[in-house]
Amino acid sequence: MQREAAIREPLILGDKSYKDITDDVVGPIQGPAPIGWKIMITISSIIAVYGVGCILYLIGTGIGVWGLNKTVGWAWDITNFVWWVGIGHAGTLISAVLLLFRQKWRMAINRSAEAMTIFAVIMAAIFPGIHMGRIWVSYWVLPLPNQFGSLWVNFNSPLLWDVFAISTYFSVSLVFWYIGLIPDFATIRDRMTKPFAKKIYGLLSFGWSGRAKHWTRFEEVSLVLAGIATPLVFSVHSIVSMDFATSIVPGWHTTIFPPYFVSGAVFSGFAMVQTLLLVLRKGMKLESYIHVKHVEYMNIVIIVTGSIVGVAYLTELFISWYSGVEYESYAFINRFSGPYSWAYWIMMTCNVISPQLFWFKKIRRSLTATFALSIVVNIGMWFERYVIIVTSIHRDYDPSSWGEFYPTSIDIGVFVGTMGIFLTLFLGFARFFPVLALNELKTILKSSGENYKKIQDKH
Amino acid sequence: MANTKRYWSGLDELHETEAFKTIQEHEFPETKSVDEFLSDDRLESTHTGRRDFLKFMGFSLTAATLAACETPVIKSIPYTNKPEEVTPGVANHYASTYYDGQDFINVLVKTREGRPIFVKSNGRTGIGRVNARVNASVMSLYDSARLEGPTKEGESCSWATIDAAVKGGLEVAGRNVLLTNTIMSPSILRSIETLKATSNVEHVSYDAVDYGAFRAAAIVDFGINSLPSYQFDMAETVVTIGADFLGTFADSIFYAERWAKTRRPENGSMSRLHAFETNMSLTGSNADYRTMVKPSEQGKVAAALLSAISGNSATNTLSEVANAAIQSAATDLKKAGTKGLVLAGSNDLHTQRLVNAINAALGAVGTTVLFDHEKGLFQGDQAAFQQLLKDMNAGKVSTLIVSDCNPAYDAVNAEEFIAGLAKVKTSVSTAMVADETASRCGMIAPNHHWLESWSDLQIEKNRIDLVQPTIAPLFDTRASGLSFLTWCNADAGMDWYTYLRSTYNGSYAAEAMYTDREWNEAVHNGHMVMGDGVTETPAYTGADVSAAILNVNKRTGGSFELALYQKTTMGVGQHAANPILQETPDPITKVTWDNYVTMSHSDIDAMGLNGFIGQEAPASVVNVVVGDTSMELPVFPTPGQAPGTIGLALGYGRGANGENIGKAAFQSGESGSFDTDAEGNLIPVGANAFGWARLNEGLVDYTQYDVRVEATGGTYPLACTQIQNTFMGRESIVKETDFTSYFSERDAKKGSASWNKLITLGVHEDVNADGTIDALDNKPTAAFDLWHEHAVEDVGHRWGMTIDLTTCTGCSGCVTACHIENNVPVVGKDEVRRHRDMHWMRIDRFFASDYSLKKGEEEGTGVIESYRRMEDPALNPQTVHMPMMCQHCNHAPCETVCPVAATTHSNEGLNQMTYNRCIGTRYCANNCPYKVRRFNWFNYPGYKKFGNFNPAQDSLMRMVLNPDVTVRSRGVMEKCSMCVQRIQSGKLEAKKDGTPVADGSIVTACAEACPTNAISFGDLNDKGSNVQSISQNNRAYHALEEIGVKPNIFYMTKVRNVEPTQA
Repeated sequence: MQREAAIREPLILGDKSYKDITDDVVGPIQGPAPIGWKIMITISSIIAVYGVGCILYLIGTGIGVWGLNKTVGWAWDITNFVWWVGIGHAGTLISAVLLLFRQKWRMAINRSAEAMTIFAVIMAAIFPGIHMGRIWVSYWVLPLPNQFGSLWVNFNSPLLWDVFAISTYFSVSLVFWYIGLIPDFATIRDRMTKPFAKKIYGLLSFGWSGRAKHWTRFEEVSLVLAGIATPLVFSVHSIVSMDFATSIVPGWHTTIFPPYFVSGAVFSGFAMVQTLLLVLRKGMKLESYIHVKHVEYMNIVIIVTGSIVGVAYLTELFISWYSGVEYESYAFINRFSGPYSWAYWIMMTCNVISPQLFWFKKIRRSLTATFALSIVVNIGMWFERYVIIVTSIHRDYDPSSWGEFYPTSIDIGVFVGTMGIFLTLFLGFARFFPVLALNELKTILKSSGENYKKIQDKH
Repeated sequence: MANTKRYWSGLDELHETEAFKTIQEHEFPETKSVDEFLSDDRLESTHTGRRDFLKFMGFSLTAATLAACETPVIKSIPYTNKPEEVTPGVANHYASTYYDGQDFINVLVKTREGRPIFVKSNGRTGIGRVNARVNASVMSLYDSARLEGPTKEGESCSWATIDAAVKGGLEVAGRNVLLTNTIMSPSILRSIETLKATSNVEHVSYDAVDYGAFRAAAIVDFGINSLPSYQFDMAETVVTIGADFLGTFADSIFYAERWAKTRRPENGSMSRLHAFETNMSLTGSNADYRTMVKPSEQGKVAAALLSAISGNSATNTLSEVANAAIQSAATDLKKAGTKGLVLAGSNDLHTQRLVNAINAALGAVGTTVLFDHEKGLFQGDQAAFQQLLKDMNAGKVSTLIVSDCNPAYDAVNAEEFIAGLAKVKTSVSTAMVADETASRCGMIAPNHHWLESWSDLQIEKNRIDLVQPTIAPLFDTRASGLSFLTWCNADAGMDWYTYLRSTYNGSYAAEAMYTDREWNEAVHNGHMVMGDGVTETPAYTGADVSAAILNVNKRTGGSFELALYQKTTMGVGQHAANPILQETPDPITKVTWDNYVTMSHSDIDAMGLNGFIGQEAPASVVNVVVGDTSMELPVFPTPGQAPGTIGLALGYGRGANGENIGKAAFQSGESGSFDTDAEGNLIPVGANAFGWARLNEGLVDYTQYDVRVEATGGTYPLACTQIQNTFMGRESIVKETDFTSYFSERDAKKGSASWNKLITLGVHEDVNADGTIDALDNKPTAAFDLWHEHAVEDVGHRWGMTIDLTTCTGCSGCVTACHIENNVPVVGKDEVRRHRDMHWMRIDRFFASDYSLKKGEEEGTGVIESYRRMEDPALNPQTVHMPMMCQHCNHAPCETVCPVAATTHSNEGLNQMTYNRCIGTRYCANNCPYKVRRFNWFNYPGYKKFGNFNPAQDSLMRMVLNPDVTVRSRGVMEKCSMCVQRIQSGKLEAKKDGTPVADGSIVTACAEACPTNAISFGDLNDKGSNVQSISQNNRAYHALEEIGVKPNIFYMTKVRNVEPTQA
């Protein structure tokens, strides 16, 4: 059995046994739905239905129901897309990269972070679909053999790379997540008494029997998938950033974008994990498993990535001046002093200044402060994409076409709607899925559990 | 009697052979009843099980569903008897002549399958070049508001009823009057003469815009009743005092082309244009020197110019700036001598007499100013019209026939006319639509549309221009001339064509219809020449102008002065129901679908009004008080508007009482229904300003010297296609220089002249081989390539275009031509306001700013503040008009980013858009540095929001759509195709002839419409082509050359004929 230095803070608090862990995770699934959950899912479903309504109206009427125009061809649609994709970054990073780095603290958060990833990527995937003028022919972006003559997709287009990047990322994340769920589903199956639920969880657990052979294969597959998923963490957002970087629009055409976008994505992803988990641990009484230490670790990631993002912002500004290119320098002057400077300064405050507060240990370890700042960071990261997209194209090369973008109620409805869909999915996950990787947690109970550490101390 | 005849179909049948009998027996399959079929035992051994049945059902259902999803099938009905001259898919062109009381021009009408769909200049045999208004006028043929037959008291009736009523009316005692605009048709005049002679009818004519002072001044000064004809092609110095001769002034349709001939710097000389004006007009925006003067000062400018030329040093009350400008104009005029030309737009006798005196003093009469040359336009007699109004109101007029005019809308005292009309016993109008006047007349006897009728017109002494029908009358209409003849019982059963022919050949008989070679040639050419065309130069006899000088110098103005003007797009309102013209932005303000008060920025600031009109920044509304009338109008901040003055366009506010003049004349809301006021009346587009013209010495003056402007605090949205006024010092977009600088380097190699330097980029290699890598190491942008070169150089065709910014006046003729040729959707005011105009061809209008980064550096202003100040245009700025459309880049940024390869490069250099393949990601539009791509945000041909103005949504107006061009569906991107349909048909023609494509045989719609030939189109690979040689000119450049997209469109550096320091 692994041993861990006593000086390290325990990862599982309290006097927990293996059975306690199972009870804590599976108990809520077996029990009746709490009233709080019912209220929340009602609200989120209503928002989701409203969002779906907005989307159907959009598809039925035309992209004109959004506030886009001849100058600003993308605004909230692609902002939301990049924002959701960015949020979808934390899950895979936590489960894959931290797995490879043997970070045990990930075990408490990886399941829900991955779920968040899957749902966020689904939300993200909505936008490239519905932003198309003709969504009914959206399958043309796939390189399918067809009867249109030798008609092929354009492999030069970053939008096509996006299609591959997002779909690969989504499928690998889904498989990775599901593989992890199998032993936990088996545990639930074994404890379920109602025949229908038992049957369902039985199906979901793919006949897992807990044999050593199964566990070996499980470990191997997890490692292989982690290996595959790790480069994807970096590739997806790099490719998303190329949607902008390969263009010729001043403010988009920037080689710094891939690393800048990836760290921004991790930044926003961790912030979203914080937002969700701080509510989840309270609601599902998981304080023993997800506690201040986990939050602190994540806050450290947020400081690091937030600072990278900050450096990137400043680098962009410097390069725009240093390049001596009229259009480039004006694009950035316009960013911080033009009609959308308010968005720029929101972005700067939320993304560069606010995470620096985490240098203070008190704030870093305060759950309330963390919750507040995680929301601030997510707002900041939404504005980052908005600033990049809208302020770059609303005043680009030809001043005669300079214009502004004003969102319509449908713009807002679709965005809020995706939050509703996302929350509905996540609440469903919290109700029916094992929110912690309980079987993995059990592997660290004896090395990082509080009571075991105390026992260790005595010897 | 029994029928014993027997028919047989072959010898076999006749002989009843065995083989035949067998075949005959099996000719039809045996019939079998259902019972019989089902009781067949063999069925049980077949394998059509339940599953198969379900499969077949499923398949059938799916197949039926899929078939139902297909686009609706629209059946075309072929000709039963194909007309000899009509080949489906091949256009026919007919020469005709356009005249609507304002514009006159020889045109070619393009028809497809018998439908006129396009109007263009008849350049080969005719005179003039079409402007935006004439170009778009084809839409009016298909206006669904047109009357389908004669009406009486609003109810449709037969022609016999109308004729009887009018004849009866003419017999009643009292004045019988025929009221028209200026009639230029000799045949109609002949019929009017008959009407006058037989039915005791008087003929009164007036014009919507009065030019009476020009004729009156010519009578005083030259003893001849003639409108002056200006020969701009002869002029070296032109001074205009408020005459917008490039836009709407009198014969403007002839003037732009003539003026542009003198504006080609390659000729080694350029004419110089000084403008003194109140509103920023199209002419003023093209002037080399422009001075802002108030309406009350325009006469003083003429007086001061006269004294400067004749050497008097009379003092005046004009500003120092104006006096300096007058002195410099006078110097230029004296230098030009007989090649000087002064004109004034004011319909004021004194000003016009002063102008005549100046031109006479210069000796310009006979060279640049001709009298006795034109006889046609603007012969209206305002005095007779005013007398008629008095008589009508006094009840003295018993019968009034109104033809080709709309006094209830455009008369200076329309209220009086309306009141008088109610007292007329019999009133009849020949209008095509129940307009303001016609709807108030007892009867309407609708005339043909000009595209449906024969007519003749005489504008010059020595030629008759012919109008020929290009389509059979769509409705039950009758030529107005024939109506006149009918009403005086003189028609003798003659049709209008025969009558017209007999005007020129008294012995014309119907048999001669096809054999009269001379006539047929005239019809083919659109005109016939009469006489030798020699014009006399009348002697100037009006030596004493002191009374005129005294009169103009007495004028003073109040806190604000008002100058009424016509918009280049709208004219006097005859095209109010034309959605394409309504959507064509005004060349100066870039506002669509409205008229508004134009006001100087300094006054805007002083009154605390909104100085920036944006998408969500509506215009401030002011209350303008003129005498005892007032209107609430939005204010548009217009650079170049003289401080202390406001401008307001005529030609708006048509159908103010809900007259059915066409759907596009009324405002539509976001939901697609018409906007209505509190009483439920339709709201017209804009406001009618004709009532604010004033009668002055019997003439109509379009200015007011004392108006009050009060802020109301209200707002009103205006829809502009361009909201940023300056080009922010981006000199790689707009290159301009002065003529002196141009001249000193006129032989410079392309790319080396100081005013058109090749743009180079620094590289990290030792290009100049000086041993160090530094800022001096540069390479031209052509050296940088990320992508493979498209093999378009010297391979096959490479279509390209050159646009001369020096001669482009911004008239917007290309915009409308492109709009009609390419079925560009009309999207309405609300969508234009949201920056979703669909124009493939737009004209960027840039005003100069007082500020620059350099000036900011000198003054110590920060860069941010300098940029902010550079957004503001100068108070009286220089202007650049820059046509902008798809640049057909050889390294097109749009092509690489499309995920489905819907936009690709053709091997002829075209950037082509495949609508079928487009999925609508809009990345191409974002990545286009010229922002020329247009997205179909809605289903314009079907969505309810566009029902009131989109031509594709009107069952009649849909006929104007060009069948060669797809009407785009929702969700796809579109943009300039360089009229690929014309290129293809031109290539096919050449292929049929077995010859290479001749230069000039393919012309795009914009190049064809350009009155100044600023746009040229052709094959850049054709070494002898015009466009190829222009592209090699040292003025040619690519807009935004440094981004390396390698366009196939070349712009030509704008050269202003100003002194070097002021360029």
